[in-house]
Amino acid sequence: MEIISRYTAALALIALLAAVPAAAQEPDRLEAVRTLGVIYADGRNAEDIDLYRAEESSEEHYITAYDLARIFKATKFWNPDLRKLSLRIGIRRYLFTIDTRVVMVDGEPVLMRTPVHYANGAVMIPLEFVSNVLAPRLREQLELDEEHGVLTIGSPDYNVLRLEFVEGEKGTRAEIILTEELLYHIDSETPGILRLKIYGGKLNPLKFTVPRGEGLFNRVRAEQTEHDAYIFFDVEKTAERFRVEFEPAAGGRGERTLVISLEEGDLPEIPDVEYAGRRMTEILDDEARERRAGSIAVVAIDPGHGGIDNGKVSENGVREKDVNLELSMMLRSRLVSELGVEVVLTRQEDVLVPFDQRVETANRAGADVFISMHCNGWFHPDAGGFETLFLSPARTEDEMRIASDENASLRFENPELDPEELAELDFILWDMVQNEFITESSELAELVQRELSKTIEIRNRGVKQAGLRVLKGLHMPGILVEAAFLSNPDEERLLLDDRFRNQIVDGIIEALRRYQTKFGE
Amino acid sequence: MHIGRTIAIVLVILAIVIAGIVLLDRRGGPERGEEPAGVQIVPEETRTVTLYFPDRQAESLVAEAREIAVRDGFENQVKAVVHALIDGPSSDGAVNALPPRAAVVQVFWVEERQTLFLDFNAALVSDHSGGSTGEYFTIAMLLRTIGENFPAVRRVQFLVEGSPVETIAGHYAVDEPLDVMTWR
Repeated sequence: MEIISRYTAALALIALLAAVPAAAQEPDRLEAVRTLGVIYADGRNAEDIDLYRAEESSEEHYITAYDLARIFKATKFWNPDLRKLSLRIGIRRYLFTIDTRVVMVDGEPVLMRTPVHYANGAVMIPLEFVSNVLAPRLREQLELDEEHGVLTIGSPDYNVLRLEFVEGEKGTRAEIILTEELLYHIDSETPGILRLKIYGGKLNPLKFTVPRGEGLFNRVRAEQTEHDAYIFFDVEKTAERFRVEFEPAAGGRGERTLVISLEEGDLPEIPDVEYAGRRMTEILDDEARERRAGSIAVVAIDPGHGGIDNGKVSENGVREKDVNLELSMMLRSRLVSELGVEVVLTRQEDVLVPFDQRVETANRAGADVFISMHCNGWFHPDAGGFETLFLSPARTEDEMRIASDENASLRFENPELDPEELAELDFILWDMVQNEFITESSELAELVQRELSKTIEIRNRGVKQAGLRVLKGLHMPGILVEAAFLSNPDEERLLLDDRFRNQIVDGIIEALRRYQTKFGE
Repeated sequence: MHIGRTIAIVLVILAIVIAGIVLLDRRGGPERGEEPAGVQIVPEETRTVTLYFPDRQAESLVAEAREIAVRDGFENQVKAVVHALIDGPSSDGAVNALPPRAAVVQVFWVEERQTLFLDFNAALVSDHSGGSTGEYFTIAMLLRTIGENFPAVRRVQFLVEGSPVETIAGHYAVDEPLDVMTWR
């Protein structure tokens, strides 16, 4: 109690002293002396804001209440009579009085080194408010690096944490530590480079930039896109084989390790000339080989939209449903003649077919792959390009819980069944059927996207995971191809051009050819 | 000890009063009643919210801070934020992936399931101009904005005229609640 009262008394004295000199020489204009970079973890674009200084000798910087409120999404109240500004940030209320060093936080006084000013037509708040008053009281993490002039708000939730190298007998291992097991895709198409894509991965690229790796690994670079993380490994010429796998959980904190093992070939060094076209081979275990050795006998093609659902309609009245159907018909005839496969179409005329019926057509035909054909659309002619999508894994807690409830009630209703029969009874939600084929679907999507990038010359928008309705319940690998944008006048012309349509079909056929042979070699 | 505390409190009040007198007496600051730039006098409660709109190239969402008038109550605040989205972005670099005639009819918040039900009028579907990218960003801008401004919401269920629909424009499944985290 005594400490509190002394503290309060001291505070009062300081407040009293603070008010007087501040009143004597308060400037009306503050000089903008430097900028502060603000980085947000919530996806807002980084910005530079001005910092002000009261007097040349002072080290203290000021930020305007306007900037402060925007950065922290505060609700502002201004009382001109009392010259008080109230900011509600998060759950707390901060009350500033002009020319005073005391800021009231939910009614409790906190003292700052310098007073709040009114200058340049704005309320100026000392920057120390952010680091000393606000930071300890906010739920999200705040980091103010005054030396470099960077304020970071919130910590991004990285799930790809770090990279380590381990030297082994046969070669070198790169170990990537993740918070959970994520879907990945590895590409060794470019000699000397392994490109690892981690779907839904979030990483700090700086942490994955290694100018000089270890053993068979040279340089490592990383990129973070809107949805996925990429890591590029430059490897030694002597690396001949690689293997990628998640290591069985070694316990502790629930982290998972994705291992890329590089193995050396028998030849010590390969001349550059021969090296140029040589790719590394991927080592697969039997299970993976069997799973990925996709022989294709039946292809299901799904022309998107139809009937009353036009899909995208271009400015000139070109309807997506018609282009989708014409493209699908072309794909069908060339698949039959060039790959010798059987083709089923989910619709052959201009009718609206329900999603589940499209899926059922493919499932009943025992199709080996499902390809939904679409054209894209946007609200501005600027957007363009092609993309390939596959279904994102359904694995939310709710869906798991619903499935386990369903299975529990089945057990209850069938008490006579033995455990083995019960295991077979484990029902999974309809939505989750496609989960089983997620690796093949992503593989097919990556192949189609890559082959299309060779046959057509519009922007490559990449492979995406998405909660697509038409792929739910498919009992085979399935993808959706967005050929080009009908909202883009150049691409609209291309979509009506037979040459371009044939190039799209070229890409898809080549991808299917590779899908069949890649792992069967 | 008690007396010490009382003295302290008296001193604080005294300090504030003196400071106040000194301040009011000063010249050079804002006149009484004058509004400092950047700080609005707020007749009703306003809230600075972060709105997400897609960029023109349909690559990613861009954030925009906006001050909106809000009424009491969680549902009313959600409605105000969604209608601010429907009004569209203020920058040229962004576009709106929500049809201008779309409107939220009702909002229901089911706290124990952390699920927000957004009931739209028919224009959300009938006026949607299509394209899977267009549809993706319609959902993405709504979920990202709601997730950012209302952290209590974990799931969003779209309704159109009171009932769930399979999709908004033929691609993305919205018949079940969507997880806000997976759309971040």
